[in-house]
Amino acid sequence: MSQGDGPATDNPVEYISHHLKSLQYGDGFWQINVDTMFFSILIMFGVMWVAYKVGKNVSVGAPTGAQNILETLIDFVNGLVKEAFPKPNKIVGPLGLTIFVWVFLMNAMDLIPVDLLPKAAEMMGIVGQDGKHALKVVPTTDPHTTFAMALTVFAICVYYNVKNKGVGGYFKSFLVHPFGITLAPINFVLTMVEEIAKPLSLALRLFGNMFTGELVFLLIAILPWYIIPIPGSMWAIFHILVITLQAFIFMVLTIMYISLASEESH
Amino acid sequence: MNITATLFGQMITFVIFVWFIKAYLWEPLTQAMEDRTNKISEGLASAELGEKRIEEANIEYNKIVEEAKQKASDVISMAQQQSGLMIDDAKSTSKKEADKIISLSNQQITQDVNIAKDQLRNDISRIAVECAEKIIKAEINEEIHKAIFDDALKELK
Repeated sequence: MSQGDGPATDNPVEYISHHLKSLQYGDGFWQINVDTMFFSILIMFGVMWVAYKVGKNVSVGAPTGAQNILETLIDFVNGLVKEAFPKPNKIVGPLGLTIFVWVFLMNAMDLIPVDLLPKAAEMMGIVGQDGKHALKVVPTTDPHTTFAMALTVFAICVYYNVKNKGVGGYFKSFLVHPFGITLAPINFVLTMVEEIAKPLSLALRLFGNMFTGELVFLLIAILPWYIIPIPGSMWAIFHILVITLQAFIFMVLTIMYISLASEESH
Repeated sequence: MNITATLFGQMITFVIFVWFIKAYLWEPLTQAMEDRTNKISEGLASAELGEKRIEEANIEYNKIVEEAKQKASDVISMAQQQSGLMIDDAKSTSKKEADKIISLSNQQITQDVNIAKDQLRNDISRIAVECAEKIIKAEINEEIHKAIFDDALKELK
């Protein structure tokens, strides 16, 4: 998906490693991935703008345009939430919708030709710390983004666990689940692994899928220019499925995890 | 990946984003959808009610039309009866009148005929007398022949 001739084919390793490097400023804790933050927040503002417009001019009569699309989406998310939750929950619906829309749009940045925005940034003088162009346009290929969402979801899970089971009840569920109180130490280890695996798998699944997707685009980009269109377009078409599916999976798993956390202690 | 400000920045972004979507999109839209559902069900209910009313009105209408038809046919038959009576009446009246006129004219005719007969008789007798006078003056004695003329006149009566 790019004009991968010339320099790219001369030094493919350097080409790829540069494309996988974030535009970073600062050191240690204060290291900021500017590209990740910029694009994710840009997408957020775009979605917020549409959401604000639609939400302000909402009509009870026959919906048109963006409201129609968003209502379909809300209905879809609400259906999933109602299936998973026995009692109504005010947070999960908007959370799921936000995840789906945000992840989908961040993933969709993958479909922009891989060299287009980094080249444009280089022309504007935006370069990495080593003076070479470095710009990751897909925020979900940065684990910071996927872990940020997964940890937030995890925090919400913990909140609901504590709210529904109490601090003691939540701790007790670590001890008695799944083998009963007699095997408490094993239960604790197993449940701990299970709980930690949730955000970890959530974050790594999305990151892994998008990272490899981006990598394949980069590999295609170092092919000679006359070969690129065929594998490039095929991978892009396939990738449309992947980005939608990953956004959907992230949303569904979030809903499932929170619904598990909302269960009363048993 | 390290735990960096990026991670926390993204988390804060995410939380703000979710809050914004909840407040400005999810809530107004779900509210609108709920309102629409209510409105539609209300509309359907009132449509059903309206249909029922139309049905009732139709039944009422048919009843009224039926009654009106009945009344109209009653009126027509009554009028026919009335007109028949009137025609019969008129016929009998005119027949009576005609009979009266005919009998009157018949009387008149007989009267006229009698008057004419009388006049004719007088004229004839006068002419006969004149003729007879002339003849008698010429040759016959009045006394002798008077009896003969009287007899003849008696016969004419």
